[in-house]
Amino acid sequence: MTGFLRWLRSHPPAALSLLFLVTLFVLAIMAPVIAPYSPTKQDVNNTLAEASWQHWLGTDDLGRDVFSRLMYGAPITLYASFLAVIVGCVLGIPVGLLAGYLGGRIDDAISRALDALLSFPAIVLAIGVTGALGVGLTNGMIAVGIVFSPQLARLMRAQTLVVKQELYVDAVRCFGASLPRIILKHVMPNAIQPVIVQVTLLLAVALLSEASLSFLGLGVQPPQPSWGAMLARAYNYMEIAPEQMYAPGLAILFTSLAFNTLGEALRVALDPTRKRR
Amino acid sequence: MIRRRVVQIIPVIVLATFVVFGLLQLVPGDIAVTLAGDNATDARIAQIRQSYGLDRPFLVQYGTWLWNAMHLDLSRSYLSNEPVFDQIMHRFPVTLLIVGSALALSLIIGVPFGILAATRPGSFLDTAVTSVASLGVALPNFWLAMILVATFALSWNWFPATGAVALSRSPSQALLHATLPAIALAASGVATVVQQLRSALIEILSSQYVRTLHAKGLSPAAILWQHGLKNVSVTLLTVVGLLVNRLLGATVVVEAVFAIPGMGSLIVHAAVHKDFPVVQGVVLSMVVIVILLNLLIDILYTVLDPRVALK
Amino acid sequence: MTHSIDGLDRRAFLALVGAAPLAVTEARAQATPKRGGVLKVSAPSNPSSLDPTTGGAGSDHVFLYTMFDTLVAFDYATLQPVPGLAESWSYPDDTTLVLNIRPGVLFHDGTPCDAEAVKANFDRNRFDERSNVKPDLATVADVTVTGPQQVTLKLKQPDTALPLILSDRAGMMSSPKAFKELGRGHDRAPVGAGPWKFVSWADNERIVVTRFDQYWQPGKPYLDGIELQVIPEVNTGLRSVIAGQNDFVYFLSPQQKTVIDRAKNLTSVTGPTLYCVLLYMNWGRPPLNDVKVRQALNYGVNREEFNQATMNGLSEPAGITLPSAHWAFDAAMAKRYPYDPDKAKALLAEAGYKDGLDLLALGYTDQRHIQRQEVLIEQYRKVGIRLKFQNGTIPEMTNAYMVEKKGDLYLSAWTGRPDPSQTYQLMFAAGSFYNTSRVEAVPEIGPALLETRRYADIPSRKKAFAGLQKIVTENALLVPLVFQWELDAHGPRVKNFKPNLLGKPKFENVYLEG
Repeated sequence: MTGFLRWLRSHPPAALSLLFLVTLFVLAIMAPVIAPYSPTKQDVNNTLAEASWQHWLGTDDLGRDVFSRLMYGAPITLYASFLAVIVGCVLGIPVGLLAGYLGGRIDDAISRALDALLSFPAIVLAIGVTGALGVGLTNGMIAVGIVFSPQLARLMRAQTLVVKQELYVDAVRCFGASLPRIILKHVMPNAIQPVIVQVTLLLAVALLSEASLSFLGLGVQPPQPSWGAMLARAYNYMEIAPEQMYAPGLAILFTSLAFNTLGEALRVALDPTRKRR
Repeated sequence: MIRRRVVQIIPVIVLATFVVFGLLQLVPGDIAVTLAGDNATDARIAQIRQSYGLDRPFLVQYGTWLWNAMHLDLSRSYLSNEPVFDQIMHRFPVTLLIVGSALALSLIIGVPFGILAATRPGSFLDTAVTSVASLGVALPNFWLAMILVATFALSWNWFPATGAVALSRSPSQALLHATLPAIALAASGVATVVQQLRSALIEILSSQYVRTLHAKGLSPAAILWQHGLKNVSVTLLTVVGLLVNRLLGATVVVEAVFAIPGMGSLIVHAAVHKDFPVVQGVVLSMVVIVILLNLLIDILYTVLDPRVALK
Repeated sequence: MTHSIDGLDRRAFLALVGAAPLAVTEARAQATPKRGGVLKVSAPSNPSSLDPTTGGAGSDHVFLYTMFDTLVAFDYATLQPVPGLAESWSYPDDTTLVLNIRPGVLFHDGTPCDAEAVKANFDRNRFDERSNVKPDLATVADVTVTGPQQVTLKLKQPDTALPLILSDRAGMMSSPKAFKELGRGHDRAPVGAGPWKFVSWADNERIVVTRFDQYWQPGKPYLDGIELQVIPEVNTGLRSVIAGQNDFVYFLSPQQKTVIDRAKNLTSVTGPTLYCVLLYMNWGRPPLNDVKVRQALNYGVNREEFNQATMNGLSEPAGITLPSAHWAFDAAMAKRYPYDPDKAKALLAEAGYKDGLDLLALGYTDQRHIQRQEVLIEQYRKVGIRLKFQNGTIPEMTNAYMVEKKGDLYLSAWTGRPDPSQTYQLMFAAGSFYNTSRVEAVPEIGPALLETRRYADIPSRKKAFAGLQKIVTENALLVPLVFQWELDAHGPRVKNFKPNLLGKPKFENVYLEG
C-alpha cells in the first residue's frame, strides 16, 4: 500500500486522475445528500440561465440546476461504464484462459470466434441489439460489453500462454491439481495484470459509448439525467445557448481522460520490460 | 500464406454473419406478431410468418438468409419495402467519403507528429504532442462535432451545418459538406495514430539493432528513414485496420449531429423503427468491410515484411 | 340547401373564423408571381405513404398537397369549403350530395379526372382493404355516376360535414389507372391531378416533385418543382435554412422563434392552427374509467406553465379540442378545468387514490417530446400522480396504445381535421381508431355526434358542437394541453407563402425571386 502511495506521488497525472475519479464516485453516491437541487425541480421562469451563485453551472431549458443534474447523472454514467466492462470481463476472461491454457483446436476455434466479434464496431452492434431488445441503457451497454469481451479474451489468452510455461504451473500440475484449480489459483492471478490495465482503458471507451447511445436517444430514458442525454438536449439550443453543451461535454471528457491516464500509468508501472531496465 | 489467410477468414465471416442473423432472435415475443402491426388477424400473422420464413427451423432460416446475402440480396425493408442492398448502396458513398477523409486526415496529421514526438522523447514538443493526443482519445467525437457546428457553421458560416452532397453531383460541395464531420471523426484518429506510432518508433529506435547502427556511425536521420519507418509501416497498417473499425462506429453518432443521410443514420432510424432487415444489412456490411480490410492488411504485411510470410 | 357555399351563412362564418389573427409575413403589395425555380424544403418526417388512401400520418399532407388536388378545397384563413376538382356541389335533399366535377382535368398519367374516375376513387376509399379513410366516408351509402362530370352520393344519414371531409384525404383523387396497375406500388409512385407530379422518393432522405404541364389551373404552378428533404430534427432543419441549403422549413418548435429572429435574411411565418398537444386516455378500464381520476388529470395540469416551458409561451393553452379562432369554439367549456392541484388531489382521494396513483403513459423519443414529458411528470408529481413514460416512434407507439392497448395515457397530438365533427368522431365514437377503449365513454356521445352533422348552417352547427363539447368536457375524455401555433421559416427568395388554419403548409401560391 505504501508502495502504491509512493508510486502515486511520483506520478502526478495518475494521482490527479485517481483523485478526480474518487471525487466523482463520492459525488455520485452522495448526490441526493449534497446536490443543491433536485435534478427534476423545474423553474419555468428561469430557463437557460447563465452561471450564478444560485446555479453554479446555470440552468437548463426547464430551469433545472445543471450542476445538480450533472451530479445525478454521474451514477448512471458510471453504472453504464462498469456494466459494459464487467460483461466484457465475465465473458472474455474465462474464454481467454481456456483458449490459452488448453491450446490446440479449441484455441483455434475460439480465436476465429474472437476475430469475428472484434470486427464489430461497438456502437453499431449496440444499436443493433437495442433495435432488437428495445431502447434502454442496460441492453445497449451489455452489447458494448460483448464487443469488449474479445479484446480481454485475447489479452488473457496471450498472458496465459506465457504463464502456463512457467515452472510452478508445471509443478502444481504434477501434484495432480484439478484443471479449474490450476487455472483459477495459479494461472489467472499471474496473468491478470495487463487485463486490469485494459479494463481501465475500456472504462473510458464504455463511457463514450454510453454518452453516444444516450445522445442518440437509445440509452437513458427520461427523466433520468445522463451526461449524453444532457448533450442531446443542449443540441436543441445550440444557437440560443451554446454554453449548455459545455458542462456535460467537459464532464465526459475529463472522466474518460482520467480513466485513460490512470490506465496508461498502470500499464507503464506494470510493464515487466520497463522494470528490468 | 495469402491463400491460407483467405481460407482462414471464411469461418470468421461465417461466425460474424451468424451473430448478425442472431440479432433477430433477440426480439422478445413472436416477431411475426410484431411485424404484422395494426389490427393483425391470425391469417395475416401466419402469412407473414410464412413469407419471411419464420416458421422454419433457425438454421434453415439462417442458411437461406446467408445464401441470399451472398447474392447481394439482403431482403427488403419492413418500412419502405425497398431492397436493403439498394438502400445501403445508396448511402454508402456518403459514409465512405467522411470516413475516408477522416482516415486520411488522421494519417496526414498523425504520422508527422508521431515521428516528431518519437525522435525527441521527453522534450517539450513530445510532452505537448502526447498530451494533446490523450485529450483527443478521450474527446467525445459527437461533442466535438457540436462545437464545430456551433462555431464554424452557425457563428461563422464557413461550412454547411447539415447534410451531404454526393461527390458525383458536385465534388467541391461534397468536400465542403464533409469537412466538419471528417474533422470531428479524425480527432480521435489523429490521437490514436500519434500514440501508436510514437510508442512503436521509440521501441524500434531504442532496440539493440538500431544502437548497433548508431555505433557504426550512421546519422540519426538515415537510421530513422531507412530502418525506423520501414519497420513502423507495419504498425501503421495495424492502426489503419483498428481505425476503420472505430471510425465506422463513430460515424453513426457524428452523422446524427450533422443530419447526414449515411449508413449511420440509416441504422439508427432502422433500429428505432424495428426495421430488422435494414439493421442486419448495415451491421453486416460494416462487419464485412472491416473483415475484408483486415485481410487486405494481412496481405500487405507479407509484402512489406517478407519474414511474416515465412512464419 | 342547394349549394354549400351559399348555404353556409357566409357572414357568420367569416365573422367567427376570419377573426383569426393570421400573421401574414409580407405586408407589401403583391408583385406578379414569377414562374420557375425549384423550392427546397426541409420536411420533419418521412411520409407514411404517398398514397392518400393508404397513408395515415397527419404529417403526410404537406407532401400529398403537392401532388394531389382535392374535390373540395378550403379557404386558408377560415377553412371554409371552396370549389376544387368539384366545381360545385349541392344537397337536393338531406341525404343526397351531388358533386359536379370540373371538366378537362387530367391526372399526371393522362387519364381524365371525370365522374368515372371520381367514383373509382370513392369505391377504393370505401372498400379497399388497405384504405385508411373508411371512417371519413362511413355515412356514404352509395355512389353513382349521374353524368359524364357528375357523381351523386346517397347518404345513410344527414351529413353536412362531407364537403369539408372531401378537402382531406378522402377527397384527394388518384388516377384509377395508376392504382389499379400499381397496387401497393402506388404508395411509392403516386399519380394524382395536383400541380406537381411525382419524381422520386428516397426513404428518409428526399421526395422530389416536378411541374405538371397539363395542370388544370392556367399559369399554375409557379414553381418548376419542389425538393422536400427529410430532416427529422427541426433544429437541424432550421440550420439548413439559415445556412441557405434549403429555402423553407415548417413545423418548427416555438423555441426556435428566437433563433429565426436573430438570423439575418430569415422570415418567420406564424399563425393559429388546429394542432393540439394532448393526452389521450383509455377510459375503458381502471383507473381511468373513473371520471374523477380523469377530471383530476385535467385539474392537475398547469397549461400556462406547460405553454411557457415547452412552447416558449407562443401557443394557446387548450381547454377543448378547438382553438379560440375556430368557429365552433366554446369559451365556457374551454375554461372548465382551471389549474387546481388541491381539487385534483381531492378528486383522487375520492376515487380511492389517497396515496397517489401510478400511471403509465406512452410517448415519443425525440427531445421536444421528452421535454413535454418531463414537465408533465413534474406537474403531476405535485398532485400525487406518478407518471412514467415508455417511448418509441410515432407509428410504434400509436400502434402500442391504440391497437395493443398498452398504457393508460398517450402524450401525442391531434393535427386537426377540416370539419370538427371528424375530430370528435375519430376520437370518441365507438370502435374508432383513436378511441383506444373502442367503446363510448357515455351513451349520450353517439346521438350528440349525429347532431353535429344534421344542419348545414353555422349557428345551428355551433350549437350542436357546444352540446357535444359539454359531454366530452364534463366527462373529461381528454387532457388537451396547448394548441401549437404554426411556425415556419423561409429564406429571402421565397415569396407569397401564406399559412392556413389547418397548419399544414401548401405551396401552390409560392414563387421564387432572385
